[in-house]
Amino acid sequence: MPTKLSRRNFVKLCAGGAAAISLSGYLAPFMKEAVAAGAPPVIWIQGGSCSGCSVSLLNSVHPDIEKVLLEVISLRFHQTVMAAAGSMATEEGLFKTVEENKGNFILVVEGAVPVGADGNYCIIGEKNGEHLKFMDAVKEIGSQAMAILSVGTCSSFGGIPATPPNPTDCKPVSEIVKNVPIINIPGCPPHPDWIVGTIAHVLLYGDLPELDKFGRPTMFFEGIIHDNCQRRQYFDNAIFARNFGDPGCLLELGCKGPIAHCDSTYRLWNNGVNTCIKAGAPCIACTEPEFPGWPIYERIPEMPIAPGITATVDQIGGVLGAAAVVGIAGHLAGNVLTGRIGPKKNQDEKEGDN
Amino acid sequence: MVKQMEERHSIWLRIFHWTNMIAITLLVLTGFYIHAPESFRLFSNMDTPRMLHFAMAYVLVFGVIGRVYYAIVAKDAKNVLFNPIPDIKNLPSMMKYYLFLSDSHPDYGKYNPGQKMMYTGWLVMAICMIITGFILYNPNLFMGLGGSLGGLIAVRVIHYIINWLFVLSVLAHVYLDVSEGIPVLLSMFTGKIPKGFHDSAHTHDKSIGA
Repeated sequence: MPTKLSRRNFVKLCAGGAAAISLSGYLAPFMKEAVAAGAPPVIWIQGGSCSGCSVSLLNSVHPDIEKVLLEVISLRFHQTVMAAAGSMATEEGLFKTVEENKGNFILVVEGAVPVGADGNYCIIGEKNGEHLKFMDAVKEIGSQAMAILSVGTCSSFGGIPATPPNPTDCKPVSEIVKNVPIINIPGCPPHPDWIVGTIAHVLLYGDLPELDKFGRPTMFFEGIIHDNCQRRQYFDNAIFARNFGDPGCLLELGCKGPIAHCDSTYRLWNNGVNTCIKAGAPCIACTEPEFPGWPIYERIPEMPIAPGITATVDQIGGVLGAAAVVGIAGHLAGNVLTGRIGPKKNQDEKEGDN
Repeated sequence: MVKQMEERHSIWLRIFHWTNMIAITLLVLTGFYIHAPESFRLFSNMDTPRMLHFAMAYVLVFGVIGRVYYAIVAKDAKNVLFNPIPDIKNLPSMMKYYLFLSDSHPDYGKYNPGQKMMYTGWLVMAICMIITGFILYNPNLFMGLGGSLGGLIAVRVIHYIINWLFVLSVLAHVYLDVSEGIPVLLSMFTGKIPKGFHDSAHTHDKSIGA
């Protein structure tokens, strides 16, 4: 058993770690140089997540994941990709890397951080014979990192684990670690390009990319889905799909394209094959901080009108409108009966004139 | 007999009233189409109502700015703005009049407390509509503002609810004004109203007359 886990050794341990990362081939040689010149290593930890972000990363195609892992990124720890297990993984892979590279490594966090029950809901390993809580790992490792990449909506904004009732009290990484710059790469899952591209930017320039109000790199999250949609012409021509599979704009099926920020409509998934809306699935705005706090297949959520009862705004408005019409009719009748309007009033006026 | 006329609405007030009325009406109609194009089939494409909606949004912005400026410069604000202390005190007598519990009501000035409440409410609603509307119009530019209001879906819901409030309150506004008498409606076009038109329902005026 090796006492010191070098990058080479780690890569050897990555049995079958062959998938791909879609970093442009043009950048790869520069990345190789940067890593050779001692670019910061990358540590990837997973908490309250479904590992979908990791699967998305492994779906990198150009250059493929093998190249990325071998040449582009010095990835020292990744729970689901590496072959090492047990104390070798945590002691050698994780904590030794942290100790050797204090303030000079990139921490990638996948998944929300459950802080309920003192963090006991999520235990990712063992340290000194004790449970290693994910909450403590993020706090301890994160505060020593050069930068934290919150990969996925869960670690960026809370996402699905933090949706009410949220029994495990999941929190985004930004609420756990405050002293380290954090880059949010939301998405459910994020496009492999967003992950590798952001890591590449940090490694190459040693600096954070330009971020928007929610900490997302503007190079990937500047546009609105609706503005670059393949189905936009359907929207402009008012051709709307009523059922799944219909041609037409998916607005009436609950598409959140007009409020979702990302570039997947022209970056396309699976090596540039397709994207959600093009494939006929309405956008669920998975890159937005409030995801998934809205109905996926409805345009806007219903309003609570009583405990346990909801109604659409249209229903409430319609009922109030009907009530207003009834009220107006009643008042009109009252006006006529009391003689405020109608023949009686004219009579009064005549009398007054006389 | 030629009725003596007195000025009720200045030319500027009438201009702002009708531009805002046109803007709000078109905004509501196009807004319903943009919200539910399949069930509110008023237009045949999405381009026209969207362009109209955005154009009318700017008309409303300038209409609101102009109306507020006019209210300040022409000292019209005290007529229109809801002033909680005296107006809440005046509410019961007004409600009594509208519920036919009394035949007359005191002289409230140009508008009664209910009208002031509605017109001040419209100012608040219009400002909310303008803010939420611009957030939805350009989600990139107003990203932080949209987030602080609870996300763009929440902004959308607020925008849509206030739209319904406009529909309902305009309904009441049109009925109450027309039922008050055709001269009231005409005064918004001509600016003039028969002298003493509003006096018949004022108790203290009656006593003076007696």
